Amino acid sequence: MSKKVSKPGSISRRRLLASAGAAIAASPLGANLLQAQAAPIRIGMSMPQTGGLAGGGKASLLGIEIWRDDVNAKGGLLGGRKIELVVYDDKSSASETPAIYSKLIDVDKVDLLFAPYATVPTAPIMPMVKQRGLLLIGNFSFQVNSKVGHDMWFNNAPWGPADSWATSYLDIGQKAGGKTMALLSADQEFAQNLAKTAREVANKRNLPIVFDQAYPPNTVEFSSIIRALKATKPDIVYVASYPPDSTGILRAVNEIGIGDSVKVFGGGMVGLQFGAVMESMGSLLNGVVNYNTWLPEKSMYFEGTKEFFDKYTKRAVEAKIDPLGYYLAPFGYASGQLIERAIAAVGSLDQKALAKYLRENTHHTIVGPIAFSADGERKETAVLQAQFRGVVDKNIEQFRSAGKQVILFPDNLKSGELVAPFEAARK
Amino acid sequence: MKRSSITFWVGAAVFLIAALAMTQIVHNQYPFFAGYIILQFIALAVAWSILGGYAGYVNFGTSAFYGVGVYGSVFLVKAFGAPLPLQILAGAAIGALMGLALGLLTLRMQGIFFSIATIALTIVIETTITNWRYVGGAAGIQIQRPEVTAPFDSYVQMLFFVQALLVVLAVAISRYIQHSWIGRGLQALRDDELAAECTGVPTLRLKLLACVISGALMCAVGAPAAMYLQYADPGSAFNLNYSVTTLAMSLIGGTAHWAGPIIGAILLGTTQQVLTVTISSEVNLLVLGLMLVLFVVGAPEGIVGLIYKLRGNRKEGEI
Repeated sequence: MSKKVSKPGSISRRRLLASAGAAIAASPLGANLLQAQAAPIRIGMSMPQTGGLAGGGKASLLGIEIWRDDVNAKGGLLGGRKIELVVYDDKSSASETPAIYSKLIDVDKVDLLFAPYATVPTAPIMPMVKQRGLLLIGNFSFQVNSKVGHDMWFNNAPWGPADSWATSYLDIGQKAGGKTMALLSADQEFAQNLAKTAREVANKRNLPIVFDQAYPPNTVEFSSIIRALKATKPDIVYVASYPPDSTGILRAVNEIGIGDSVKVFGGGMVGLQFGAVMESMGSLLNGVVNYNTWLPEKSMYFEGTKEFFDKYTKRAVEAKIDPLGYYLAPFGYASGQLIERAIAAVGSLDQKALAKYLRENTHHTIVGPIAFSADGERKETAVLQAQFRGVVDKNIEQFRSAGKQVILFPDNLKSGELVAPFEAARK
Repeated sequence: MKRSSITFWVGAAVFLIAALAMTQIVHNQYPFFAGYIILQFIALAVAWSILGGYAGYVNFGTSAFYGVGVYGSVFLVKAFGAPLPLQILAGAAIGALMGLALGLLTLRMQGIFFSIATIALTIVIETTITNWRYVGGAAGIQIQRPEVTAPFDSYVQMLFFVQALLVVLAVAISRYIQHSWIGRGLQALRDDELAAECTGVPTLRLKLLACVISGALMCAVGAPAAMYLQYADPGSAFNLNYSVTTLAMSLIGGTAHWAGPIIGAILLGTTQQVLTVTISSEVNLLVLGLMLVLFVVGAPEGIVGLIYKLRGNRKEGEI
């Protein structure tokens, strides 16, 4: 029996191969090569799946998941790396997100971060991502970066400059002949931010504010407030409210009336974008001019928009979430597209390079072109102001067709003219 | 010093040294973020049980005290740039005053009426803060942390250690109360307030004292949270979850012994943290709900009660 003996100092072929292989694997280049074939690109986020923001959070997450599936079906990014989402529930609370994002960064070691839906859960993680120099794609939070000043923050929301919301609404009101304004706002974070900018814009334009009242959250009975508002005979009524109050306010207006002086009514009513609320309010919505982010008007279809909603509509039924999903879901998808475009252009996951690319270019997404200003918000606002028209009761499908919410602002997306005064538009 | 006291203080010292060593050895930040939350709930549960457990006055106002602690810090930081120790001390002072006020106003009520009054307190204070624009009002406020002081590398590590100190302080106070005349008086009034009063126990004074101590501790625990989150909004700071979770922790752990709330808080707090990053959906609420039901049915006197039962030793105060 012969015994294979290797001479001292010599090296067998197998051993040579093994050593070379190990050396390549251990080298940075080798690590990259191995990773490129196997490791997915992991995107970490928290998302409200329970608590007050859960409805929006779930729709937003579904948008992001549809993007993930689309990219993975196309073979992934960076030469075959699939997208993997690491998602935790933040219970709609600010106190949960610091620990969750620390887990994502320090334990899960995700490649990229998305922010949770809404301002409150996002605010506490801003200083953390700034300190660590990480890229963060925002998700519908409002002015969370204004004080922090993180240069790697990019908000997917169409808000634009802080005052543009009030400016566009007051423009519509003033063009219709409005000379005074009434302001009704919920005592909650988002509504108060809107009310604050509305006051500032009105003061700048010397538009007298004849009524300015904040009501506590969870108010259900608005008839006395609407009576007091009506008595001041305003021309423009700017309402910044949350879902339960939005319906309460519209019911009170329907019962009491708002007076012939009012040219436009609405502006910042959260809730009138959600399928279930729209269906239950039905014809009470007619005439209201309210903000929105996406609507099924002709001007709103970009490359991939229709395909997205085809998929969303199917999956929303299974997931039991908002069947329309106009408000948040396409923007979740667009968040993914932003990252997808940046990775394709940069060719790596280098966060600084990705941020530079996002800051310097215009990105084409299913919600239209997106360009960022220095603070990471949109350069120009793309918040729509639209008027409800010809809405009938108890029919959610009607909102899928064009013409039910006519876009009045911005001009490049406009699909009709304002019908005023409000009482006439309600009929 | 009794043997049990020596054991307690040695244990506390070991715990603090371990916490400090952890901040020096562990570089991963996540254990500090998650650990801070658990420590915070231990301190809150221990503070709660001083009034809720020993005296039997079920306080739903934990979130009111906690939120006032948070906003006390926000105000001090914004107005004077106050350092962390001052924020905590001020929080304790405000909490003590608030406890006194709450006690004077509501302690004449008993049982469910007292509990409802404490919920009302939360709503009143939350509404006040919501309308106070200086501290951000309804829109919330972002605050910047100052530079971290040595020997800590990061602010969260420092907050973790500070919270560990507060836990030791809260537990030491709670333990002292249980073994002193205050604890015996509170126990007497919990069993039968009228009888206690008749036998010369100064019930109102004792209840006030419990209210003041419990309030001061809860506020002090809330104070560093402003720096932990670097953000405060009334909805999160006064979240009723703090009240409910604290109460659940104390009940699950058992309120008869100072160790009960600690056991409950560690068990429930850790479970919550683990569930948040594992199941992480509606299911985690279901799991917590089931845990509560199981304990209420299986161990109505909490884990401490269960241990007494298993040992056949029903004498309270000894484990």
